[in-house]
Amino acid sequence: MAHFEIKDLGFEYPTSMGKPTLEGINLTIERGEYVTFCGRSGSGKTTLLRHLKSVLAPHGKLSGEILFSGKPLEDASLREQSFKIGYVMQNPDNQIVTDKVWHELAFGLESLGYDQKTIRLRVAEMASYFGIQGWFYKDVAELSGGQKQLLNLASIMAMQPEVLILDEPTSQLDPIAAADFLNTVKKINRELRTTIIITEHRLEDIFYASDKVVVLEEGRIIAADNPRKVGEFLKDEKHFMFAAMPTPVQVYYGVPNEEICPLTVREGGEWLDKIFVEKEVKVSAVDEANAFCEEDIAQPAVELKEVWFRYEKNAPDILKGVSLKVPKAELFAVVGGNGTGKSTMLKSICGICRGYRGKVWINGKRLEKYKAAELFYENLAMLPQDPQSLFVKKTVKEDLQEMLARKEQDRAEEITKVAEICEITHLLERHPYDLSGGEQQRVALAKVLLTKPKILLLDEPTKGIDNFFKLKFAEILDKLKKQGITIIMVSHDVEFCAKYADTVSMFFDGGIITTNTPHKFFSKNSFYTTAANRMSRHIFENAITNEDVIYLCQKNL
Amino acid sequence: MRLDSYHPTIQFIYFVAAIAATICFNHPVFLVLSYLAVFLYSIKLNGVRQLVVNICLFPLVFVYAGYYAFYHHFGITALWSNFIDNSITLEAFIYGITIGIRIAAVFMWCSCIFTIVSTDKIIYLFGRISPKLSLFLSIILRSVPRIGIRAKKIALAREGIGKGCRKGNIFLRVWHLFGMISILVTWTLEDFLESAASMKSRGYSLKGRSAFSIYRFDYRDRGVVITMFACLTVLFMAILLDQTKIYYDPVIVIHRITPMSVVFYLVYGVFLLLPMGLQSVGEWRFNRINGKKYGYFEVYMVK
Repeated sequence: MAHFEIKDLGFEYPTSMGKPTLEGINLTIERGEYVTFCGRSGSGKTTLLRHLKSVLAPHGKLSGEILFSGKPLEDASLREQSFKIGYVMQNPDNQIVTDKVWHELAFGLESLGYDQKTIRLRVAEMASYFGIQGWFYKDVAELSGGQKQLLNLASIMAMQPEVLILDEPTSQLDPIAAADFLNTVKKINRELRTTIIITEHRLEDIFYASDKVVVLEEGRIIAADNPRKVGEFLKDEKHFMFAAMPTPVQVYYGVPNEEICPLTVREGGEWLDKIFVEKEVKVSAVDEANAFCEEDIAQPAVELKEVWFRYEKNAPDILKGVSLKVPKAELFAVVGGNGTGKSTMLKSICGICRGYRGKVWINGKRLEKYKAAELFYENLAMLPQDPQSLFVKKTVKEDLQEMLARKEQDRAEEITKVAEICEITHLLERHPYDLSGGEQQRVALAKVLLTKPKILLLDEPTKGIDNFFKLKFAEILDKLKKQGITIIMVSHDVEFCAKYADTVSMFFDGGIITTNTPHKFFSKNSFYTTAANRMSRHIFENAITNEDVIYLCQKNL
Repeated sequence: MRLDSYHPTIQFIYFVAAIAATICFNHPVFLVLSYLAVFLYSIKLNGVRQLVVNICLFPLVFVYAGYYAFYHHFGITALWSNFIDNSITLEAFIYGITIGIRIAAVFMWCSCIFTIVSTDKIIYLFGRISPKLSLFLSIILRSVPRIGIRAKKIALAREGIGKGCRKGNIFLRVWHLFGMISILVTWTLEDFLESAASMKSRGYSLKGRSAFSIYRFDYRDRGVVITMFACLTVLFMAILLDQTKIYYDPVIVIHRITPMSVVFYLVYGVFLLLPMGLQSVGEWRFNRINGKKYGYFEVYMVK
């Protein structure tokens, strides 16, 4: 008997005016299966997932039927659904209800009304299984994002669910925490036979582990099969979702060959070995720009010279002598782990954090010499990590107008122009909070651009954005660069930086360790580098993007 | 070894009884006992810094007494007259001292409470009354600091586009502050929707919620509770026998000290010093078991 059986499911939001969000969904999920849903933002993934748990199902017109363990889902009581179906959401912070780790673990069990003894045992079990003992007594506020999401997972697992539904659980996490989290999910699936239903942007970490990949487009299932078949299908259809496939799959289909499709970096490396067996590699490197040389920059847009910063007098130093020169009209990326001080560096560039030692020059002029109004108008602007922190008004349009001083309301055409650049013209009448993460990001960017900055500072701009939005975002950044805007971004997103940045810096322990062009930078690293590079480094010298690997393979075969 | 290793109910009983007794018993012997006990206990708990605080508090008792006597003129033993010819009386002055001592003692009790009682114990105690109420408190304790953090984030983000409330003229600042608050409200509400979904999905709305706690009531706790209640019973007798009171108006009227009252004093002292005694004995035993290899400092750290 199938665990979940979805029969001809259709759904329409009251506000969608005849356009269904889900249509003709037929799907069977067996017990213990690992099912990945993918599709671009707004394809109906979240809506579908929410329908699998009655309390979370959105209001609207529903047709068709969902069977849970052979019975209609609505027949399962609230109690039964509460503990049998676990649901992990996107934002780690918002899901945590109580203030202590141990209390959060017990929350669901308290709801079910279990007694002290049972709860104590279950909580102990969970803390041990997830390795939470070390922070069992902590305040949740002290945890990192990854720990928070793990806590959410553990507090749901404490109820011993049969099914675990995860809606983009790692979109707010850094890559290392995300990989940890997804490994734990996989472990749960393998060891406990819990059925996993998951949606993710970062397919790299889950694609290979899935038993079934379901591709959604505009509320319809266009493919539901094992990962290799889905990859093949998307390639044959020349479907845009192909861009979201993991690197090995994309590279495999870029090179004509007869082997089996690799899914992981290891398989990708083995696959490359196979196709290059007894073949000579004639061209082993792509052409690349000259190495980055700091001395060559005559007029840097931003220059930092040994900036030291700490938040309080007795606190440890966050920035420990950061020196940096950013050339004009370039995309300058700073990568590095969590909590190394990258964001603080951005803040010190725009004067929000003033270093107690060292100097900052903006366009050749000392930061201190600027007046506040000068600094943030037609000069510097920072896009914060959470776009929500900028939205004030009811519609996107009003929000953009807020940026113009009152007497400048006639600068309406400016808004139109910026909206066009950021491709948000069709969203102008919507409420900012109704937009998807990627759309919010672009609205926030538009808002920031209305200050007409010459230097744009971006803090983790690709966090929680799917691959199409990333593509679009890269295009926007390119347009801005052409207008002469200098862009400095700090990011975890190695793949994005490798593909689009002009210069990449590694930030560690409060300082910049090294700066170079993406090719030079990533081909020298062996861990902190792109999947394409890790997969091909034993054959090619400096292939860092999928395109590089495909290009070199084609050259040599 | 410290009182916070005992069950929260015990901490609750101890502090409520001790503070209530400190406030209500105005008999000088009882007062001095309360004062000395809390003086010592707070130093035992908080170390040398507390000693400095306690010593600084002491002169304030007399300052307060002086202030009190200056404005209250009951009693018959006039000492001298102030500049508007109101007499400063001995009774009022002494009464002022007792109030001053009580205030100082309560202040020191509070410093002990801050060290011993953490928020989750308060939540636990509420949970005994109503699981929903304790959950509610816990949610508040989580959301209030979060709102603060979010406000900081917003302030930063707004500053990054030149709309911060630290720069510009006063009107602009106020205007920007309003913008910030508006964002804060919308964002908080929006996030709360997600929290609500997470609560619902974990069966929050089910009937029959229980309250889990990490505390256990063991034999040691039972022994301490029995001792405490025995002491409190004796003290209750003292109240009934009017042994804890003293009258100041118009003359100081005080009970004769009988052998019985010495017993009451002893019991009161035992009650107040019980946690400190238990802690000291625990530390001494720990030291003995582990030989001399642990110095005082490590023991202090282990607690």
